[in-house]
Amino acid sequence: MIQYKVIGRVIGYLILLLAVLLVPSIGFSIWYAEGDLRPLLLSFFLFIITGVGLSLMREKKEAGVKKREGYLIVAFGWIAMGLFGSLPYWLSQSIPHFHDALFESISGLTTTGATILEDIESVSKGILTWRSTTQWIGGMGIIVLTVALFPLLGIGGIELFVAEAPGPTSDKVHPRIKETAKRLWLVYVGLTLVVILLYWWEGMTFFDAFNHGLTTISSGGFSTKNQSMAFFTSPLIQYTCIVFMFLSGVNFSLTYYSLVGKPKRMFSNEEFKIYFLIVLFLSIYVSIGVLYTGKYSYEEAFRTSLFQVLSLITTTGYVTDNYTEWSAGLSFVFFLLLFSGGSAGSTSGGIKIIRHIVFFKHSLQEFKRLLHPQAILPLKINKTSVNPKIVHRIITFLLVYLFILFVGVLVLSINGIDLQTSMGAVATSLGNVGPAIGQVGPMDNFAWLSPGIKIFLAFLMLIGRLELFTILIIFTPYFWKNS
Amino acid sequence: MRIVIAGAGDIGSHLAQLMTYEDKDIVLIDNDPEVLDLASSKLDILTIEGDATSLEKLKEANTANARLFLAVTTSEQTNIISAILAKKMGAKLCIARVGNEEYLTEQNHSFFKQLGIDTLICPDKLAADEINRLVHNFQFSDISTFDQDKISLIGFTIGPGSRLCNMALRNMSEHPDLEMVRIVAVIRDHQTIIPNGNTVLRNNDHVYIITDKEHCKSIDQLTGEAKQNVKSIMILGDSPLAFLTAKVLEKEYQVHIIGSDGEKCRKMADKLDSSTMVVKGSYRNIDFLESEGLAQKDMLIALTGNSETNIISCLSAKNRGVYKTLAQVENKEYTFISQDIGVDTLINTKLIAASEIFRYIRKGQVEAIKTLHGTDAELMQYVVRVENQLTKKPIKDIKFPETAIIGIVIRGDEFIIPTGDCRLKLEDKVLLFALPDAIKKIEKLFTYK
Repeated sequence: MIQYKVIGRVIGYLILLLAVLLVPSIGFSIWYAEGDLRPLLLSFFLFIITGVGLSLMREKKEAGVKKREGYLIVAFGWIAMGLFGSLPYWLSQSIPHFHDALFESISGLTTTGATILEDIESVSKGILTWRSTTQWIGGMGIIVLTVALFPLLGIGGIELFVAEAPGPTSDKVHPRIKETAKRLWLVYVGLTLVVILLYWWEGMTFFDAFNHGLTTISSGGFSTKNQSMAFFTSPLIQYTCIVFMFLSGVNFSLTYYSLVGKPKRMFSNEEFKIYFLIVLFLSIYVSIGVLYTGKYSYEEAFRTSLFQVLSLITTTGYVTDNYTEWSAGLSFVFFLLLFSGGSAGSTSGGIKIIRHIVFFKHSLQEFKRLLHPQAILPLKINKTSVNPKIVHRIITFLLVYLFILFVGVLVLSINGIDLQTSMGAVATSLGNVGPAIGQVGPMDNFAWLSPGIKIFLAFLMLIGRLELFTILIIFTPYFWKNS
Repeated sequence: MRIVIAGAGDIGSHLAQLMTYEDKDIVLIDNDPEVLDLASSKLDILTIEGDATSLEKLKEANTANARLFLAVTTSEQTNIISAILAKKMGAKLCIARVGNEEYLTEQNHSFFKQLGIDTLICPDKLAADEINRLVHNFQFSDISTFDQDKISLIGFTIGPGSRLCNMALRNMSEHPDLEMVRIVAVIRDHQTIIPNGNTVLRNNDHVYIITDKEHCKSIDQLTGEAKQNVKSIMILGDSPLAFLTAKVLEKEYQVHIIGSDGEKCRKMADKLDSSTMVVKGSYRNIDFLESEGLAQKDMLIALTGNSETNIISCLSAKNRGVYKTLAQVENKEYTFISQDIGVDTLINTKLIAASEIFRYIRKGQVEAIKTLHGTDAELMQYVVRVENQLTKKPIKDIKFPETAIIGIVIRGDEFIIPTGDCRLKLEDKVLLFALPDAIKKIEKLFTYK
């Protein structure tokens, strides 16, 4: 028996939370008075009414939330947030078509950062703030936060935690899930405040600082400017952005430990070390390529390379430069970066570095096993062996990821989109990155795609954000069988 | 002197046996009546059947008056608890055997002291350290250190190319580089000879040498053997000893460890470095060992629980060109046989643990002790505490037993290889080597009231 009313109730609370998060947008709307107050208030009341209505639902006899309900809460919760999140765009007619509004909303919530807006600066400030807010909401596990904030819901957090953040490692910083979620969110909120203040102090207007702050830490990548981060030519702002993008790709529990005085955990962590080395190595490699174009000074080449590499590896998606114009080889390097992702437990999307590490170690071991068939070869991360079941799940994840990628590219290319663009669009949606290659490069947008393709890509974004299994499991017949 | 031993396993019975020779009152506690029967039929001891953590049994053993309580059962928990109980009952000195390496660190020493356990010993760790020393000095069959590693006792077999071949000991002092080298024992045809000036060394003699740290390095030239580097090592066995050995050696050598139990192998692989290869398979299957690259290894260390398997695998390895072999051999009877047929080095965990424990027993005046393979003789370290004939006469005039020899004298920071005219002083540390019949006389000479 699936307790649909419990699921409805949690979704009700989620929508109430969305209403609360609409408040800053209303604030900016009043301040700038650009005529978007009415649709925003209308959305606000719609959120409140629906939220309260849903949250009053009760099952006659309630049992605890089971695994199955956990998956459904997370999947439907995200879909509901996507639908409700699109209301302000649609009601204000900033985005006249509903499918476009939904694409923008899901692209925001999943922290992808792909946009269908052709002229961002013409959109009113209140709506733009909502656009950035959706990314900030989506950066961390929102559903787990809901459970942490509303302990009265009476449901266990662990089922939701597993469904919403199904990373390969469990990094509980506190024995209780609720406390873990609270601590990680505290780090998240803290980092966001710091970066907003820094941007402001470094010369952005408060409105720009606030919006970019929300989309930097969440590794989202929405900007309030048509030129994205390239608008802010100050090296100081760009370096600030670089530092915080880097942090958004670090496991938040490691950041938490560093803040409470245990930085050793971060620097001895294998995934962190490899993440750091990849960023460093690729930035230097790309810098050399960029220098060959002859248009940059040493500092500019290094800065722009570091920025672009970090933006893609952490799946943020800001741009300060058009990397597809540098060279075909570098363009392909950036395409590959769409498959990297940051560390597990960070706000970044994509496959995540830990999965790549496991994949490489596992492959090397298979070669070793050919020579020593009877050898016992545990796969070790951070000097402790990884359970073979987890290794198995990670390998499956990679194969399913590839499979979905190919299906996606097939769907797009059947619809007459060229292969390079198809690959770029699907990879960037699945990895929640934003910019890609081909006709959806760093200086392009997604407005020209057909409505069906937009909905399809938005669906891929959701699948990618919830790390495949949470959405896909709902489509397996076994999930719906009573047992 | 009453000594209570909890646990009549390998180490417990071995210690009981050694100590009954010295007129100690031994009480042995164990759960298993059969091992107790076996022990009491051979030895003049009191046995108590029961759990060593039982207060009643401990009282029955008169633990309150024991000078020494040894907890050496196979269970770490039993050892720790019974040692704590014994201390509270009044035992003077409590020693517990543990398997957990973590307990042995310096910081935890005072922690256990507070609990009432004076010393923790881990026989496997001691043996692993000894193996590590032997691997680093693979041209020697034995090596142990005294006085904070400044003095070494080294055992090796004289090869035909050695300078020592056919040399009389009295002529040794003519060579300036041999001045700080003292030969304390020669094993020839399975007989231990305490050498004097007239002894002439021969090819195939097994000699024990005492020297200080500086001269230690030049000793390997005396063996008369061509030197080869040791880089890769194969270890047989999945016991805690095999694991600890691999853990010590993997830092410097390429280690390949073969165990027979899948579960144990998995646990070892979890804890060892990933550069160390752990393979599950049968050690008796030489074809399998060969397919794992036995012939390419520089050294084989056989640490399976079975002495025969260890000896046989070492011999097979020798036949396939492995440079050095080391076998764990717990049966004393096999010592000579295995060395005669070609195993280079032996390790006996019982002897190692017993040496360690023994220094707590010898009336508290001996500072260190070491039992050697293939001989009953022991190396002991004493301190001269009182003025008696030792300090009043030169060494040649002391009534010193013929089956004992002074190896080296440590005076402050100075090391002296004593000659007959040398005179001992107060606070001198004396390392001497003695056959069992001389031990009593030596003890008398150095004992103070």
